[in-house]
Amino acid sequence: MELFIQQLVSGISIGAIYALLAVGYALVYSVYNFTNWAFDAFMAFGAFMAFVAISSLAMPFWLAMILSIILTIILSVGSESLAYRPLRERKAPRLFMMISAMGVNLAVVNIINLIFGGTFRKFPVESVQPIFVGNVSIGRMDLIAGAISFGVLALLWLFLYRTRWGLGIRASAIDIQTASLMGINNNAVAIIIFIITGVLSSIAGVFYGIKYAVFPMMGIVTIKAMIASIVGGLGSLPAAIVGSMILGVLETLVSGYISSSYRDLFSFLFLIIILLFFPNGLMGKNVDEKL
Amino acid sequence: MGYINAIIILCGINIIAALGVAILTGYTGLFSIGHAGFMALGGYFSAILVKEFGIHFSIALLAGGAFAGISSFIIGYPAFRSRLRGDYFAIATLGFSEAIRLLLNNIQDIGPIKTGGAFGYMNIPSHTTVFVTVVAVLLAIYFAHMFVTSQYGKNCIAVGQDEVAAQMMGVDLLKTKLMALFISAFYAGVAGGLLGFYFAYLSPSFFTITKSSDLLAAVVFGGIQSLIGPVITAFVLIAVPEFLRTLAEWRLIIYGFLFVVVMIFRPQGLLGYVEMNLNFARVWWSKYVSRKQAGASEGQAGK
Amino acid sequence: MSTYTPQNDEILSLRNLTVDFGGVRAVNNVTFSLKRGEMVALIGPNGAGKTTVFNLITNAIKPTMGAIFLNGKSILGKSPDQICRLGISRTFQNIRLFPQMTAYENVELGLHSTPHYSLIEAFFRTPRARRIESETRKKALELLEMVNLQDHAHARATSLPYGLQRRLEIARAMATSPQLLLLDEPAAGMNEDECNELIELVRKIHTTMQYTIIIIEHHMAVVMDLCRDSRIYVLNLGSLLTIGTPQEIQNDPKVIKAYLGERKNGRDLSTP
Repeated sequence: MELFIQQLVSGISIGAIYALLAVGYALVYSVYNFTNWAFDAFMAFGAFMAFVAISSLAMPFWLAMILSIILTIILSVGSESLAYRPLRERKAPRLFMMISAMGVNLAVVNIINLIFGGTFRKFPVESVQPIFVGNVSIGRMDLIAGAISFGVLALLWLFLYRTRWGLGIRASAIDIQTASLMGINNNAVAIIIFIITGVLSSIAGVFYGIKYAVFPMMGIVTIKAMIASIVGGLGSLPAAIVGSMILGVLETLVSGYISSSYRDLFSFLFLIIILLFFPNGLMGKNVDEKL
Repeated sequence: MGYINAIIILCGINIIAALGVAILTGYTGLFSIGHAGFMALGGYFSAILVKEFGIHFSIALLAGGAFAGISSFIIGYPAFRSRLRGDYFAIATLGFSEAIRLLLNNIQDIGPIKTGGAFGYMNIPSHTTVFVTVVAVLLAIYFAHMFVTSQYGKNCIAVGQDEVAAQMMGVDLLKTKLMALFISAFYAGVAGGLLGFYFAYLSPSFFTITKSSDLLAAVVFGGIQSLIGPVITAFVLIAVPEFLRTLAEWRLIIYGFLFVVVMIFRPQGLLGYVEMNLNFARVWWSKYVSRKQAGASEGQAGK
Repeated sequence: MSTYTPQNDEILSLRNLTVDFGGVRAVNNVTFSLKRGEMVALIGPNGAGKTTVFNLITNAIKPTMGAIFLNGKSILGKSPDQICRLGISRTFQNIRLFPQMTAYENVELGLHSTPHYSLIEAFFRTPRARRIESETRKKALELLEMVNLQDHAHARATSLPYGLQRRLEIARAMATSPQLLLLDEPAAGMNEDECNELIELVRKIHTTMQYTIIIIEHHMAVVMDLCRDSRIYVLNLGSLLTIGTPQEIQNDPKVIKAYLGERKNGRDLSTP
């Protein structure tokens, strides 16, 4: 039983990381109908920036985190302005936008690889004693990561549902043309969305780096976040969170009770099964193309 | 001389896999970053058939291709059916490819067959020669050409350009996409098999996202809706880095930037929409002739 | 709704067709029937739901309620390509030609959207496949001739002037050998001469090919001319406002009120 709870806790903590990424992915997708493959790179970039800040520049953790967030925002908004917006304004087909995003991803991840090399680095935070609840040990870092993740998501919720800017973004998610006709500045919306993307991916990157390791290809975990978003229901932010928690927990249970080799295969098969029986995800809405 | 042979063989293998991606992505417009996974499936399957069961390698190659093709339905069917809107397919290709790679990496054997995990599958009988490769490449190009110029291929092209309109005009989207997917996975599987029979060894590390990106690059740079473009590019992308070893570390970075640049400035790639067509040559020739005639008659009139 | 039995000569029958988008009822309880060979129009102010009706018939969107019968059989739930094969074809309000294909290739696609030979024959280009392809080629050129586009056969579809693109879409729709042709604003953006050419073209294909045709149009001249011997359905805010002959519609105060304030291409409905 304790093993189960242990796994559950672990699953929730990885689910929280997935949730940050999934929400970022779902946000971009719901407004632009576009999969931001460079998400991968943003996450790795955020992690490495924080890593460098702490290990080479001896910054305290919180400062490093903030620096990482700022730098990732610059990268994110830069990609949007240079690689995505020109195509979007031209109404380029989806395929072309995906190729462009993949290009950003390839370039950034491999620059990181070139500079830092592929070794798995340990994120430089001191090991802390886990907290014990009964016989279950909960990593202190997991708790902090979980708390911050949910905190950030709560802030995001407040932003989207309680501010004017957030309203503009939600309107754009429903219909970007109508939103712009109603006076919402599309360019501002784009920048805000990619700022949010930068924030979410850098935080997720740092926590993932702490939990596992820091290495150039670490962003591959965003595929799990994408799967989680689809499982929950593409286009919906709450669904992305739900999907992430479910995926994180199930995945960890499979890894713990069956074998860790099968963990990724399970996630993939889970995606397929969900698509077969719930084509719009567990909570999703169907959006038809305008004819 | 052996070095040149190696390049020809590796180029050939790359060309065959790139042709598959061309059919799926270049023609049918379906983004895939997972064809390394199909290469792995085909590669391991053919290698096992030959090494453990003594089947003739040419049959094993086709069987490997078929195995990869059938496996592709696991992704294709859920992703393509009904009105699914979304990048499910693209994401699933990545998830699938990585899952296969990690699985092969982590398990040491499949039943009694020792696949070796991360150490790789060893002592595969060596069968891929220059002759075999050239024959395979020629057949691959021939059948790909036959497909894309057929009514089936033209339906794929319509799906790639506007799938909603295509469906309204009677194209069965599910069937067409699955067909393109099967063929592309088949080609990748055969390429994987040839790879195994060349190195006499297969490792999951051959089939990473980098490999999938390389194949995608052949289509992005070579040209949308073209076979000749990706063929030439696939060849160049293997041959050139061989001679530019120093740039090796920068290769993917350059690809990444070029993806963005190409999409913004010339999305159809180098030879997009250019087909290995006698028509192309005929049109060019007739334009050339008529220009010459116009020049001659102008000369006459000027006298 | 399956208690309704369509008449023998009814090609299309819509019964209580309704669709909701979120909180908006875009199409409300639309019911009408068409006999084979008729040519009717569907008109109404912008946003009335006309294109949505077409989308429902071709199953681009699913109805919330109601039934659609083609030749007596329900086509609810069939995929758009199945519906095309069963005999319904359409053009689009915002032209949807295949942008990188020539005019010829666009039309040809309609002919082979369901290929006429097997995949094996495709790979080996058997004599039978070759013969089928040359027959298809001939038919495609014939269709282009019928809409007078044969001189533009090898031009890229999107390089053609707007009016020609609309004609090309019609040719492509004809290529699928439909029984029922849905034309969505075929005259949009056309001047008077082009409209007259279009009227002639539609009349010609109606007579020679014996299609049943539904036209959505805002150009009243086109509608009044083509439907002078049949009827017009007027849609407003998703519901069928009224049905009548051109004369009846023109003088119907309800129709004029629905269009109040809307001048369509400088001709408003109160002038005959």
